[in-house]
Amino acid sequence: MTSNSSLTLNNPTHLWLEIPEVELERSWQQQPFSTPNRSWVAYLNRLTLTAFLPWLSEEHGANAKPYPKGAALPSIWEFVNGTAISFGNTKMVLIPTEALDIDEFRVPQEWIDIPNWVADYYVAVQVNVEEGCIRIWGYTTHAQLKNQATYDAFDKAYCLDSEELISNLSILWLSRQLCPDVITRAEVAPIQELPLLQAQNLIQRLGNPNVIMPRTQIPFTTWGALLQHGGWRQRLYEQRQGQQQWSVSEWLQNGVSDFAQRFGWATIDTQAFAGARGSNVAETLPTIARRLTINSQQCELRVLPQSNINSRIWRFELRALPGELLATGVKLRLLTEDLQPFEGNEVEVRSSRESIYLEVALGEAPEGLVWVIEPTPDNFELEILYF
Amino acid sequence: MRVRQNLIELFSTFLELDASKVIGWATDASLRRHMMNLVSKLPQPEQSEDFWVFYWYKLWSNAPESLGKAHLSAYLQEVCYWAARKTVSGITSSQYTLSDCFQMAVIRVDKVLKGYKPDMGFSLKNYGSAVFNSELKEMLRQQNEIDICTNWRLLKKLTQKRLVESLQNAGQSADAIGRYVLAWKCYQELYAPQQPSGTRRLQKPDSETWLQITQLYNQLRLTQLPTPGTELNPETLEKWLSSCAKAVRAYLYPNMTSLNAPRGEDNGGELQDILPQLTQQSYISEIIASEEQRDRQSQQAQIGDVLVKAIKELDEEAQKIIQLYYAKQLTQQQIAKELGVKQYTVSRRLTKVRDTLLVKLATWSQESMHISLNPSVLNYINTVLEEWLQAHYNPNSL
Repeated sequence: MTSNSSLTLNNPTHLWLEIPEVELERSWQQQPFSTPNRSWVAYLNRLTLTAFLPWLSEEHGANAKPYPKGAALPSIWEFVNGTAISFGNTKMVLIPTEALDIDEFRVPQEWIDIPNWVADYYVAVQVNVEEGCIRIWGYTTHAQLKNQATYDAFDKAYCLDSEELISNLSILWLSRQLCPDVITRAEVAPIQELPLLQAQNLIQRLGNPNVIMPRTQIPFTTWGALLQHGGWRQRLYEQRQGQQQWSVSEWLQNGVSDFAQRFGWATIDTQAFAGARGSNVAETLPTIARRLTINSQQCELRVLPQSNINSRIWRFELRALPGELLATGVKLRLLTEDLQPFEGNEVEVRSSRESIYLEVALGEAPEGLVWVIEPTPDNFELEILYF
Repeated sequence: MRVRQNLIELFSTFLELDASKVIGWATDASLRRHMMNLVSKLPQPEQSEDFWVFYWYKLWSNAPESLGKAHLSAYLQEVCYWAARKTVSGITSSQYTLSDCFQMAVIRVDKVLKGYKPDMGFSLKNYGSAVFNSELKEMLRQQNEIDICTNWRLLKKLTQKRLVESLQNAGQSADAIGRYVLAWKCYQELYAPQQPSGTRRLQKPDSETWLQITQLYNQLRLTQLPTPGTELNPETLEKWLSSCAKAVRAYLYPNMTSLNAPRGEDNGGELQDILPQLTQQSYISEIIASEEQRDRQSQQAQIGDVLVKAIKELDEEAQKIIQLYYAKQLTQQQIAKELGVKQYTVSRRLTKVRDTLLVKLATWSQESMHISLNPSVLNYINTVLEEWLQAHYNPNSL
């Protein structure tokens, strides 16, 4: 695919990786986006992942995963370019562009200033769709971006000239061995959570797909607060696609939505499950569930109405797999949509057992709930369930 | 090519080329006088070129506007020439002549000087060669690509920095550039290929997309531009974006005639644009007094020894691979064939060899030259290491 003449023009200090041909087709238009350009950005990010992750695992034995998990990525790419991956204790953001010149590196502010988006390393990726390859032409650190980059207020991006980048990705690993004291992250100020009403208004306003570049429409701290909440970000994304897919009651009647399925939710047939272990009336109710990994133990989170489908009392149940027990100290906690605690919102495993649960009685008005578990499950991202 | 005979020439003459060969050396009269003037003031004759390199480099770093850059530019002519020749012989297309490549590379002298770290022990020629070679490759890659994509595709393949430089190069005012850049951003945000293949032939947006882009521009101009200007219509917007693409193409083909020519007989500013004589004198005595420059020469020799030894310690397979790659100059594909392995494996092993050498050299620099290591220092060593390997296995090319 790569012609001979351009091969000899490859800069040997850069890392060149082929995009598997099948991925050029397969990565195309997997999810909806508000504009052709956002679809294209998502495509470039996906191609980058499919070329880079196998290399990382083979060369550095790093079992890297997108962070947050793959299902949440469209809700990032709808607004921001770049994909975070994590391996071991290291986080890295891949920023793909198609620019032929490698004169500057632009990192959207979200990756630098939203505390739970901050990474150690930021990697400049040139994607050449036509030649089916990506080139890693440099990397830098959070600390360097924060301290040396210029800030472009229109783009809300930190910019470095290419000369400031480390052009050989190998040095990332070599420097850990040769100069382990290098500090990768700078301090960032926490972003205050938004009040519910404000968040709802913003989602309404910016959820209109005719609002182009929503990230530039409001002050960064407000925008950052909206985005750092995985549930709100997902809602904003879905709203822009004209969809709203997190109503549990609806899932129970019509099946779990496409989006929620990607996050791991499914309706389960509790009858068969319960039947194997003796019958229990509560377990014959319609139930949704998803798998979680907590400290490398697989568990299941179930959500079901207390008595029947019209009930406003809902049960959240965390359950070990059959034959296993939940470890002492595991906590299940529910919060309101804007992350406020309420009375009786927490349950803890006091001594090893099969399951723990919480029941919440909701008012008549539709309400959103966020679940949190301690220790934090792998690839955890806040999500809001509507009742 | 005639080798330049003496120090004065080395720092005051420039190559003259026609399309494919060297015609000769042209003297820049003011640089020549400048050199002679300084030489005559030395307490004792200083014949080492390293002394002068260091001197002009020091002058340049303290006063970038001084003649230091011009002297070093003269000094780097051969290095640049060899980089151009190597590149020309390595590419199949005959679109670029030796002279084109030379001119494209020589404008990067600034980048060489800015990136050079004299304390690291490598010579300016080594580093210059590394920069010229990689810059040339980069520019040719870009041109190859630009030549085969439509304006509409090209506009998706740009950094903002490149666009701004191209527009500056086209003589646009700051205000106009602001407007063009905003129009380009609106285009970027609303237009993209709508299928994954055939993208190089990307056609212009349809009228509805033009309308959207125009609306976005008209809305943003009110808040984003220092002077919002008039409201645009889609036709004007299209014209603007075409001009942007044109400027970008023109920027990559610089005006070749004016770049390397000696600046002619007296241009009046001979000694005005340099530091006062006193300072110059003090540099000279400073350099002579310090052992720095002599150390530097011995460092360069030592680096060579360290690397030769490190290569000898590589296992047989690794030695073979760098032999094939650097001495025989085979491509990774050809090496893969020769060794009966996948190209991917060759690339991995080459990387491993380079990493091994980099670690050895870096560790040696730390221990013997007391250089404190950080990623940027490692990156520098790595850049020059690549060049050192090329030169080591192909001694005639430098």
